[in-house]
Amino acid sequence: MSKKVSISKYIAYLFLIVLCVIWVIPVVFGITTSFRSQTEVVSSGFRLFPKEWIFENYVAILENTSTAPILRWLFNSVFIAVSHTLLVIVIISLTGYGYSRMNFKGRDTLFFTLLGISFFPGVVNIIPSYKIIDAFGWVNTSWAMIIPGLAGMGNIFLVRQFMKGIPGELDESARVDGAGDFRIYFSIILPLIKPVLIVCGLFSFVGSWNDFLWPVIVYTDVDKMPITAGLLLLQDIYGNYRMIGQLMGSAMLAIIPTLLLFAFAQKYFIQSINLNSGIKG
Amino acid sequence: MKKSFVISLLMIFAASMLLSACGSSSEKTITFWTPLTGDDGAYMDEIVKEYNATNPDIKVKHVITSDMYTKLSTVLNSGKGVPDLAIIHADRVPGFAKQGVLEPIESAIKGQPEIKEANYLPQAWSTGNIDGTQYTVPLDIHSNVMYYNKDLLKKYNAESILDDNVVTIDEMLSLKGKLASDEYVVNDALLGWVILAQVQDLGGDIQENGKPAVNTPVMKQAFENVKKIADAGLMTPFGEDGYLMFQSGKVLFSTDGTWSSTAHAKVDGLNFGVTNVYSPTADKFTNRASSHLFTMFKNDKRSDEKEAGIGAFLEFVREHSLEWAKAGQIVASKQVNESPEYKQFMQSFFTSNEQETKSLYIYTYEYYPYVAEAVDTYCADIVRGNVDLDETLQTMQKFVEDKIAESSSKQATK
Amino acid sequence: MPDRKRQAHYFSKRRNYKAMNKKLFAPFFFVGPHLILFLIFILIPTIYGIYASFTQWNLMNDPVWIGLANYKTILFDSSSTFHTQFFNGLKNTLLFVVISVPLLIVIPLLVAVALEHKKVKLKGVIQSIIYIPGLISISAAALIWLLIFNKQLGITGNVFHSQVAWAATQPYAWIIIFVITVWGGVGGNMIIYRASIAGVSKELYEAAEIDGAGSVRRFFSITLPSINFPLIYTFVMTTAGAFNVFGQPLMMTDGGPRQSTHVLMMYIRQLAFGQGESIAGMASAMAVLLGLVILVISALQYYVMNRNTR
Repeated sequence: MSKKVSISKYIAYLFLIVLCVIWVIPVVFGITTSFRSQTEVVSSGFRLFPKEWIFENYVAILENTSTAPILRWLFNSVFIAVSHTLLVIVIISLTGYGYSRMNFKGRDTLFFTLLGISFFPGVVNIIPSYKIIDAFGWVNTSWAMIIPGLAGMGNIFLVRQFMKGIPGELDESARVDGAGDFRIYFSIILPLIKPVLIVCGLFSFVGSWNDFLWPVIVYTDVDKMPITAGLLLLQDIYGNYRMIGQLMGSAMLAIIPTLLLFAFAQKYFIQSINLNSGIKG
Repeated sequence: MKKSFVISLLMIFAASMLLSACGSSSEKTITFWTPLTGDDGAYMDEIVKEYNATNPDIKVKHVITSDMYTKLSTVLNSGKGVPDLAIIHADRVPGFAKQGVLEPIESAIKGQPEIKEANYLPQAWSTGNIDGTQYTVPLDIHSNVMYYNKDLLKKYNAESILDDNVVTIDEMLSLKGKLASDEYVVNDALLGWVILAQVQDLGGDIQENGKPAVNTPVMKQAFENVKKIADAGLMTPFGEDGYLMFQSGKVLFSTDGTWSSTAHAKVDGLNFGVTNVYSPTADKFTNRASSHLFTMFKNDKRSDEKEAGIGAFLEFVREHSLEWAKAGQIVASKQVNESPEYKQFMQSFFTSNEQETKSLYIYTYEYYPYVAEAVDTYCADIVRGNVDLDETLQTMQKFVEDKIAESSSKQATK
Repeated sequence: MPDRKRQAHYFSKRRNYKAMNKKLFAPFFFVGPHLILFLIFILIPTIYGIYASFTQWNLMNDPVWIGLANYKTILFDSSSTFHTQFFNGLKNTLLFVVISVPLLIVIPLLVAVALEHKKVKLKGVIQSIIYIPGLISISAAALIWLLIFNKQLGITGNVFHSQVAWAATQPYAWIIIFVITVWGGVGGNMIIYRASIAGVSKELYEAAEIDGAGSVRRFFSITLPSINFPLIYTFVMTTAGAFNVFGQPLMMTDGGPRQSTHVLMMYIRQLAFGQGESIAGMASAMAVLLGLVILVISALQYYVMNRNTR
């Protein structure tokens, strides 16, 4: 049996190492490109690491505080993404509970209708959405980025799926003890779905962080923009990046906050809480 | 530790809410939208800053938008937040004018006697004139041009090609078989624009009596001419980034935009110059161009005072837009482009004589954007011989006609 | 599942003495806030989008009602450019979905299972490496890969001596689209599977190990059945997401060669926000048709998978 474990260990390792190498090379290449001059970027031959490390790209990025205040953008993005994520967690856990553990007429029909509607690709919806945001007076404010995304169905669907995996006996015994829905939600279900809430929180954070179509429409003020909308301003008018090293540098700066959050969150979403199989006692 | 993390998040939340609450826009500013992303935006910022430093009655606030036309649709549709002044591209003017969303520029420039056709490059001025009404004042002409690698030309003893300022397709074909295996005569950057220039060189056009003319003998000839270069193996391979290949010194000619000169200049050891886009004949050459134009979208809230302020700003730009030459663009104001300081810029080549100035061709056909879209969609596959030329020209003609039939300005005129 | 429902029903009956209005209020407390948000920010815009599909509209004027004309053109007028674009786009989108979705399910699942192996070290580092690409903006990611696939400057030409211009030759054009999609896309599903597998009771595995079940058997008889709900979720959502693809083909191949990687969402966006006057009514009609396709396929997926798990 120990032999079996070691074979499967080697297979697992081999698979992971090969994958990691393939996955990490482009990232490293992206990072090192941010330390290359344009001359080196366009010179023939492939080099993972630059011949000469230069810091001019980062200096240029950080020096430009008028048309591209990247630190300000990062701050805006952190603010938007954090606020959005906190609200998402509240909304999806409540709603997920409602659609999986409460009984009301037409519950599943309602849920799947909403899910179905949300599958319609919203292309021209940008016009009515803008009018709605405008009616609330949210144009050029963070609300335009924080609130509309809360209506999404994806995370609620995930939370609902997870909650369905929690055996019903749990809440039933609590109900016998006289607990109401809110208490069951708060003290029984919420702790159990913490890993999935962290996963959803991470997704919302990254999703809000990487959204670039919508912020371009709702912001006019360069100082208020989030980073992804801001980075688009570095392209030239025909959509080309003329300074490749600079683009890479700003893209790499932009992932640092999400990366930190991921490092923080990953401890929690793999917490061994018995979710899918029976929970005893 | 967890608690402190949550608390710190809430603190950020609260602090930023306060921050975003303050800051309001004054009634005494001209909101000025441009699609000038990248370095271009920084140069325009500089001009605006200089203008505001003159302490005008109404200051200008420059807003750069990476997707300006979509954003314009949203504000024009909702009628709120329409900018006081904007920069649009030449090919957008006929469409906007027909939809009735532009304000004649006259109301802003009536107090500025120097803002008149004679003081600007003529085609840049007239492109804003629709049915006798002037809607725009030009900032620049930005054009498709041809960069050349001086060292490579020397290496292959081909400098004579440049003698008459017209590089003909035959001259390019004469280099066949002479180049090293990883070097090419020309790349395929802005290929669609190059094709549209060839159409002019051959004496054709993209419209006939207001109807789109894509499937024409001239268009066919234009494609066949350019295809000859590709067929001879002189064009950078399909799917390769010809722009980067020029920067890496592997390509003699690059049919790029005026604005690329700033990036080329940042590549060490790239010894380059600029000339006209290649032509099928030595008699004529055309550089397909566009123009950045100041315009006012209809907005009831724009006061007469503000319009006068806009006029003052445009006059300032007319006199002081040398800064804009740094972006690589051909400045439209004659006061600037005829000044000695302007001569140090590479693109001054295109205003150095009347023939050059005339070569900068701006299409003004109402449905030009659809024609350009069709050409852009299909040109690469045609030139590389991936598709049948006759069949594809038919498809392109239909493409343009179908789009025109669906566009609502057509509907309105019925 | 029906059993549980009946039990819950039984319990709710027992509390019948509680006030009726409280019973009505409680569900609203949980799903109400989201319902209001959904109404304002998704339902109204979507209804407007569907309405627009029956009109001729340039985004700026008032839409002009033209009934089913857009749909007729797209579906039945085989000489129309819009008909050709729609079906070419749909075909390419379907190809993308059929190939990318299995990859985006199977690879993350294998990673999650391999990471669950007791003896594997550095789980956090490996996990981060797989996840990071998803954080990089699509334009930067595309640029990285275009440089890597560049014949002169990249790996394919210099290390593997490939003479092909990948972005312009099939099947390579598709391959680079799938490479960037999988590279940037497996992280999300991997995390869901990690969270789900971590929740599977350890005793089940231990018991199976004592019974002499190998890793493969343990995977099929314990892991997979235990995570079926997250699996359904990822399958449905990954598919819906894949139907909306446009960033990767736009950046990597621009739809070429010969529009063979031109996906439907690219055509829709060009119609609505392309050069020249917007043809937003036609774009909306295409978007609604795409939405219907997504709806039917995800409903089928959900139905089939949910039934199999009973």
